Amino acid sequence: MTSIWEVIDRTETGTYMEEADFDLKIVAKSCRELVKEYDIRYDPKQIITSDDSLADDVFEAGLRLALDSGIYCIDTKRVVKFDEYELKEGIISAPRRLLIGQNKDSRILYARGIEDERAPIICGGQAGAAIPEEWYLPMAISYMKEPLIDMINNGGLAVVEGRKVRTKTPLEIQATRRELSMLREAARRAGRPGISFIAAESSVSAMGDLAIASDRYMRRTDSHLVALLNELKTDFDRISKVVNFYEYGAHNVTLVDPIIGGYAGGPEGVAVCFVASFLLGRAMYGSDFHVCHPIHFRYMSTSAPECMWNLNIVGQAMARNAPFIIMGDVWTSAGAGSEMVFYETAANTITNVVTGSHPLGVSATNGKYPHATGLETRFMAEVAHAAVRQRLTRKSANAIVVELVKRYADRQGKPDVGKPFPELYDTAKVIPKPEWNATYLKMKKEIAEITGLRF
Amino acid sequence: MSEAQLFEELAHAVYTGDDSKAVELSKKALDAGIEPLKAINEGLMKGMSRVGDDFSQLKIYLPEVMLAAEAMKAALAVLEPEALKRGKATVKSKVVIATITGDIHDIGKNIVAMLMRANGFEVYDLGRDVPIDELIKKAEEVKADFICASTLLSTSMPYMEDLIALLKERGIREKYIVMVGGGPVTREWAAAIGADGYGDDGDEAVKVAKELLQRRGAQ
Repeated sequence: MTSIWEVIDRTETGTYMEEADFDLKIVAKSCRELVKEYDIRYDPKQIITSDDSLADDVFEAGLRLALDSGIYCIDTKRVVKFDEYELKEGIISAPRRLLIGQNKDSRILYARGIEDERAPIICGGQAGAAIPEEWYLPMAISYMKEPLIDMINNGGLAVVEGRKVRTKTPLEIQATRRELSMLREAARRAGRPGISFIAAESSVSAMGDLAIASDRYMRRTDSHLVALLNELKTDFDRISKVVNFYEYGAHNVTLVDPIIGGYAGGPEGVAVCFVASFLLGRAMYGSDFHVCHPIHFRYMSTSAPECMWNLNIVGQAMARNAPFIIMGDVWTSAGAGSEMVFYETAANTITNVVTGSHPLGVSATNGKYPHATGLETRFMAEVAHAAVRQRLTRKSANAIVVELVKRYADRQGKPDVGKPFPELYDTAKVIPKPEWNATYLKMKKEIAEITGLRF
Repeated sequence: MSEAQLFEELAHAVYTGDDSKAVELSKKALDAGIEPLKAINEGLMKGMSRVGDDFSQLKIYLPEVMLAAEAMKAALAVLEPEALKRGKATVKSKVVIATITGDIHDIGKNIVAMLMRANGFEVYDLGRDVPIDELIKKAEEVKADFICASTLLSTSMPYMEDLIALLKERGIREKYIVMVGGGPVTREWAAAIGADGYGDDGDEAVKVAKELLQRRGAQ
């Protein structure tokens, strides 16, 4: 593997380039040309594809993009490149299995295959959301007390001790430490002291991250996300996060979230960009695993058909050619408390588990509102396990997903955002209120009828 | 070539991001004695309007929008000075836009900036991680109508509040239409901090900007 020292050197010595040129002349141009050359096409009727050669084409195109583009460092305006040997070394050395969490709460996080029959690892929480300080603890407990949830990725804090947290101020440190303290306390109260976290979401710059590299906050069996900026870019804040965890010994995880409609182009170009991002993320950040998060330029949600096609084809491309451990985000337009959130969650989750990724969510309302609870994530876990237990093939899964999409796609622009956590849960007992529980039971029954899943 | 044909070709050159063709056709329009303002409105603006429509339906993507905006800018450099000479230049509304302090995510902001340009606004894009006083300074300098701030981070949202507070403190709040947007920003929050407008996406941002402008004009 290319050492982190070498990576830092290259941010100072790589080719100098204006950022707009990198965006348009390298990323946009290469994605467009590669999509054309490999004849990669998105078909809304085939959200889950069964064509292995398409997956291989996406991988090959992505590898070429990674070699051609490299990663742009915004701070130095230099392009960090990796050669084929280095990228392939990253593939060969990538963990296929990782021990996460501790003692009875530990799990083996593994690289899923296509139509994998093993139970997926369920990562629960409203990742990406700003969660009010006063609900943070009961909300985190609501996820941790769900036995099917294996690990946690909850949101961050935007307010700490009544003070609004501003990026790159001392409060970022306070918020990140408070987030971890509350997660630890929630884990203890839920009787799962060793559960693994993907955390430090309150750390937007590197400041918060630097402040939690201690067993009191983040353990070495925990992980944090280091984003690749859109598209194929990074900066010193991201690299500082990597360096910190590299030395500390916890897991670096690449968060890849290309925008459909952005510089990489449409769904096809984004798929190519995803593969390149994973390969480069492994080479540059030394990431142990990766999060796949296609963003729809209008709805954001990963449950949009174009985004699920991406989760599908990228998952398969990687599983067949570079079996990294991948978690696929489940971000819905609708919020907890709505019926719509169940359709989106079911479609997104089935897509993930059948095509090579573990589900991570439910980030209801795309994290815009703190309208999320442990209950819809319990549903995500139940769908994931049922799909695997029933050995859904890609073909049968596609028919189900296409059917589910009909029930929400036209409402993604104006979704039912549901209700805040305290209106859906008894926050003292941390159990769903009767009305929310009744919606869950009703929707579970309806989705069982639509999909044939036996919960 | 008839006038209508020339306008159509001009619109097409903008749509396809062909800046040299757009410049060539703009010069041809002037040589043919066509009113420059008419060439702008019926050629360039029509082309950009198609770009906006197709982008919102994901028929084309951000790079195509950026290339089209470049072609339009090149053609305007030919047509606008001529329109000015004839005293018929369009008065464009001016927008100062940036991703606010602490945040380096700029694609959403870029999309809004492009769509605003496509809809005839004169846009000053200050980039990412821009301190609020720089936004205000630029708005004062160019006599802007709008100050637009974007962020993908909830921890940069307080800087939007600070922006409005600073405008009030300096006694210039009423001079500007303030719009906010971005991933975690909600309609309710925008109203709560006293912003004038909010857009869920680029299309809505443009629509709201036009409505706010109309309302201001009617006052």
